[in-house]
Amino acid sequence: MLSSIGNILVILVLTLSFLIIYNASLDIKFSSQSIKKNIYKLSLFQTTFTVLSFFTLIIGFVISDFSLINVYENSHTAKPFFYKVAGTWGNHEGSLLLWVNILVIFSYLFLVFNHIHDKKFRLYTLIVQNILILGFLFFLLLNSNPFNSIYPIPLEGLGLNPILQDPALAIHPPLLYVGFVGCSIFFSAAMASLLSGYGGKIFAQSIKTWVKISWCFQTLGIIVGSIWAYYELGWGGFWFWDPVENASLLPWFAITALMHSLIVLEKRNTLYSWVIILCLLTFILSVTGTFLVRSGILNSVHTFASDPSRGIYILLFLSLMIFSSLIIFFTKYKKETYNFNLKSRETFILVNNWFMAFFLLTVLIGMLYPIFLDVLTNVKISVGPPFFNIVIIPLVVPFLFFMAIGPKFGWVKSRNKFFYKFFFLILGAVIINILIFYFFGKYSFLSNLIFIAAIFLILQSCIDVKKIINNKNKFELPRVISHLGFGLLVFFIGVNYQFSLEEDFNLKVGEIKKINNYEVNFQDIKIKDNKNYKAVIGIFKLTNFKNNLVQYLEPEIRIYSNPETLTYEAAIKTKITSDLYLTMSNVSRSDYYNIKFQNKPFMICIWISALMISLGGFVQLTLKKNED
Amino acid sequence: MKIKFFLFIICVLITTSIHTSENQIKLLEVYKNLRCLVCQGQSIADSNSDFAATIKLVVQDQLNEGKTEAEIYNFLISKYGEWIVYQPSLNKNNFLLWFLPYLIFAVGGLVLFFIIQKSRHNKDN
Repeated sequence: MLSSIGNILVILVLTLSFLIIYNASLDIKFSSQSIKKNIYKLSLFQTTFTVLSFFTLIIGFVISDFSLINVYENSHTAKPFFYKVAGTWGNHEGSLLLWVNILVIFSYLFLVFNHIHDKKFRLYTLIVQNILILGFLFFLLLNSNPFNSIYPIPLEGLGLNPILQDPALAIHPPLLYVGFVGCSIFFSAAMASLLSGYGGKIFAQSIKTWVKISWCFQTLGIIVGSIWAYYELGWGGFWFWDPVENASLLPWFAITALMHSLIVLEKRNTLYSWVIILCLLTFILSVTGTFLVRSGILNSVHTFASDPSRGIYILLFLSLMIFSSLIIFFTKYKKETYNFNLKSRETFILVNNWFMAFFLLTVLIGMLYPIFLDVLTNVKISVGPPFFNIVIIPLVVPFLFFMAIGPKFGWVKSRNKFFYKFFFLILGAVIINILIFYFFGKYSFLSNLIFIAAIFLILQSCIDVKKIINNKNKFELPRVISHLGFGLLVFFIGVNYQFSLEEDFNLKVGEIKKINNYEVNFQDIKIKDNKNYKAVIGIFKLTNFKNNLVQYLEPEIRIYSNPETLTYEAAIKTKITSDLYLTMSNVSRSDYYNIKFQNKPFMICIWISALMISLGGFVQLTLKKNED
Repeated sequence: MKIKFFLFIICVLITTSIHTSENQIKLLEVYKNLRCLVCQGQSIADSNSDFAATIKLVVQDQLNEGKTEAEIYNFLISKYGEWIVYQPSLNKNNFLLWFLPYLIFAVGGLVLFFIIQKSRHNKDN
């Protein structure tokens, strides 16, 4: 029943897509100023049907309708209500439907909210966006249909991967999808801009809000994913340079570069071609990331839905996208003359793009190099965290410096009278760094530089905050919040890296282990039966001799029955200054348990500063609204 | 004036960084640089598998025998192949991997330089 409703709705959306493309192509030839009413109507219907199809699937999950293969494979009647709903997008087919939903919703919103812009430009955008929608709809129908039915109807479902049964993970895919799939709209707009010749400054104005929305959600999505990895994967780390994390970073670098260049295009009416390239690239990289993750080419902890047959389709679609965008770009390309002064804000924005391009390509090379090497020479290598840290971290130092001084320059040309201020700030940063160095511990030369650069950026941003409060010039605020957030993030990651305490050892019930000023006492083990899993809970008494503080930590080993899986839940005690982190796992054929004990300084501050980065974007979105 | 400031800063930096040599090999650092071959993208440090437990013992034994970090990696590579280490060694095959990012960075810098140079030229005319 739900299966047929879902299928009908999806096919209706598909038909509407064809109708919209047809009507829009007819309407382009008319010289009237406004777009025909029926195109709005078709688009509204399309949006309604897509959203309804997604609700149909959610209902399927909520009432556990196992006649749908997708529900049968990914749900279970004993699952809590929240995870039944979240299970809808916790699998490949469902998330593809969510993907199509966002494509369609953004298509409609762009059509409705951009009425001040050129008709031809808007119609071309609509056409390109609907071609994208068609591509993904065919993929959905032919290869990954969430509404496929199964007969005879199974009595019970197979259940959702327990690692995915977590609040952070439940909200993480929708956020990322709005961020990544939202990029489709300025991909389409960029193509439309090339096709209709509606370029330059006005083009920047037409897409800037959409770029900001995508950027905010991407940033937030990546952070939430990272938080999830921290407490759910049980390693105490928050960034692993894992292929899936890298895949999510690629479009983020591109969109961050785009967001900065777009300001130059809007203010100075230059860099048009570069902005177009970035628009195209951001969405292409989003799809590439999806392709790499879903096809199972990459070996990753985050891979939950990989299947080679999907890979081939996405690869085909991706090649078509890249090929057609290249052709259109080069046939419509017009040479621009640039006028950049060394001491100007636009030059520093180019510097940002330079670093972003470097970060992006380094991560891309790190991801793809092993694949190519394997194909060409049959040698298998792993490119992991050490590679990225060694190559990228040294360049973060100049990046932070540029980030601090860049915004201080004015547009077009500025004088250098404020150079002395920079020197005093750098001096301040150096002194703070020496204090940290002598009072808290020794670290390498590179770490010294990182700390100095980060503190410099933080000081500079604090001064900017003060200026904003004095002058009430709120339009600089979003930038300052994000840059300050980034400075703090690098600083706290640095502190966290330098001063983390980490031990790995085996203990038996009743044994005690001493580490620096901590004593870990493995007191007892409890067994508890929960609704959908059985838990083995370790009771650890943790004494800190420095301040005579006694705390109890209770890490768990969870045994899920459907599907049968073991997960390890970390016990985390969070304070502003540090997190205590303890995991235990069973050692096979022995009474011993493997214990990982960590004291990680300023974890909560890392999350807060990362959230500040995306907060800057959200603040800017609300500012824009007030301005209109 | 500017130059003096810079020199001062650099001197301070160099004096502060002299004390930082710490030769002790951290066991966990070694674990983190090794891939658990039976897992999905986990390091030996992160994994709870039997394979990881075995490798941990091997690393401990070899360290006790007085082997260096590099020797341990080489031993494991000879046994399991290069797939096991997360930091690819700098050799004929991996030369491009280590070199390309910096090449890209240099090319990017040059492009930027030429854009600014050309703008200056345009203005002079």
